[in-house]
Amino acid sequence: MSCAEALSCSGRPCEIEVAGLSRRFDKTVAVDSITFKVGRGELFAFLGPNGAGKTTTINMLTGLLKPDAGEVRYHGELFDPRRLNVKRLIGVVPQHNNLDRELTAAENLQIHGRLFGMRGQELQQRIDHCLEFADLGDKRATPAGKLSGGMQRKLVIARALLHRPEILFLDEPTVGLDPHSRRKMWAFLRRINQEQDCTVFLTTHYIEEAEALADRVLIIDQAKIIAGGTPEQLKKSAGNYVLDIYNEENIQNEFFTDRPAALQRLEQLDTSVRIRETTLEDVFLQLTGKRIEA
Amino acid sequence: MLHGVRAIYLRETLILRHKLLKTLLASAISPALFLLAFGYGVGRGVQVAGSDYLVFLLPGLLTMSSMNQAYGIATEINISRFYFKVFEEYLLAPIQRWEIIVGETCYGITKGLIPVLIIGIYSLLTGVSLRFGPLFLLALVLHLATFALLGFVAAMIVKSHADQATINAFLITPMMFLSGTFFPVEQMPLFIRAVASIFPLTYSTALIRATLTPGAEVNFVLYGVLIGILAVLFLIARRIVAKVEI
Ligand SMILES: Nc1ncnc2c1ncn2[C@@H]1O[C@H](COP(=O)(O)OP(=O)(O)OP(=O)(O)O)[C@@H](O)[C@H]1O
Ligand SMILES: [Mg+2]
Repeated sequence: MSCAEALSCSGRPCEIEVAGLSRRFDKTVAVDSITFKVGRGELFAFLGPNGAGKTTTINMLTGLLKPDAGEVRYHGELFDPRRLNVKRLIGVVPQHNNLDRELTAAENLQIHGRLFGMRGQELQQRIDHCLEFADLGDKRATPAGKLSGGMQRKLVIARALLHRPEILFLDEPTVGLDPHSRRKMWAFLRRINQEQDCTVFLTTHYIEEAEALADRVLIIDQAKIIAGGTPEQLKKSAGNYVLDIYNEENIQNEFFTDRPAALQRLEQLDTSVRIRETTLEDVFLQLTGKRIEA
Repeated sequence: MLHGVRAIYLRETLILRHKLLKTLLASAISPALFLLAFGYGVGRGVQVAGSDYLVFLLPGLLTMSSMNQAYGIATEINISRFYFKVFEEYLLAPIQRWEIIVGETCYGITKGLIPVLIIGIYSLLTGVSLRFGPLFLLALVLHLATFALLGFVAAMIVKSHADQATINAFLITPMMFLSGTFFPVEQMPLFIRAVASIFPLTYSTALIRATLTPGAEVNFVLYGVLIGILAVLFLIARRIVAKVEI
């Protein structure tokens, strides 16, 4: 599996460049020397199981945690969170909905805007726009704590978009949403990417989410990046066709570059076999040798 | 400029508005109980430091309960940091870290004014006349800023909510009882006086009491002491907040 793809910006100008980034907590190595680039306008998914190091990576990219080693560059410039201008480029949707529950939806956005130096008419208009964009136009006077989980999630996203960031980091944007809301959220994230002209960096442990949404996927497991590329590239490098070979305890997978090759192998087998196209989940399982999500 | 300070102050006061009644009641009840127990119970008819005990006690209660409210921002910051994680919003914003300190301190000062209002009402009800003048106001602001900052520092160094309770038990409660709120520090044994001399509350109580008590002489050195404590705390807060992670 080649990581070379992960190192390029797929023909776009580079937005984020990460090199050798590491962080440990006491004895736990949370992120181990990861290197990748994100291109301007990409929808980029950081896929990995629980504890892989996704949140730690986002926290280092946004200045909430200091790396032990390695560097982060935005537009080629070394990232220093003490320099305030670069923070204006960044919007963050944390894993946890960190809203002020007593305050209304609009007040939550207002505080955020003020923290980013916005005020007056401009701020009010932007609040209206972002609430509308997130389908929360009729909830502006509702206390955040009284919104449903999905609405809270959208409010956090609306808040992160308020100051017109160029890059939006979303840490597991669809966790806790029902399948319906998740699909709506995917559409919403695509709209953010396209209509708001935002580079989107999201983490997820849902493989189908990465597959459905992302221009490019980076797979992280146990603090290390194990593969990267477009979903098509990842599937191609494993083999576009796969055989599910059923035996007594397990399903075994065999990968093939094309259908005839797969069919040929199928002829030779006398157990129960199914042929199908490779999914990202197959790639992931092949790479990690484990299943992260049912 | 200072948009960070103003944004943080706005957030905190918006939230305060939602729990104003609770804060008012909490600030009203404990001084009322102390007033009943000490002022009308133990201390009835007693003369302390040359005047009626109530004249001695009310400024002490004012200083103590306003300290409690100002220092109380520690718990709020703590919850917002470890539980609701709203504190991340401050760390992500394009503001200087010291703006967080100043915004929270201003909020602590505001919150500390609530019990002052209440003790003011109690002094009217009990017929104790106090001098609420500019010297008192200056002392009050320094006192509140000191304890708000102390609360901020405490919230930044603890690693969990439980640590916060420990600090309260070992620092705040002893301070309430040993810093001259209820009895003159000079009446205490030498050991207690030595302990009291390291508590900032001892100095703010002495100063606030002097500025409030009609005819009392104000020791201006105490302003200097409070400003000194404030400056040291601010420097400590700056160092800590510069290093703080999530
Ligand atoms: N503040 C911390 N103190 C100690 N260990 C930590 C801390 N934060 C993360 N870790 C450890 O670092 C590793 C990576 O954690 P991280 O939160 O980055 O994973 P994640 O990929 O976001 O997982 P999840 O999908 O569960 O959110 C884990 O082993 C975790 O226990
Ligand atoms: Mg995480």
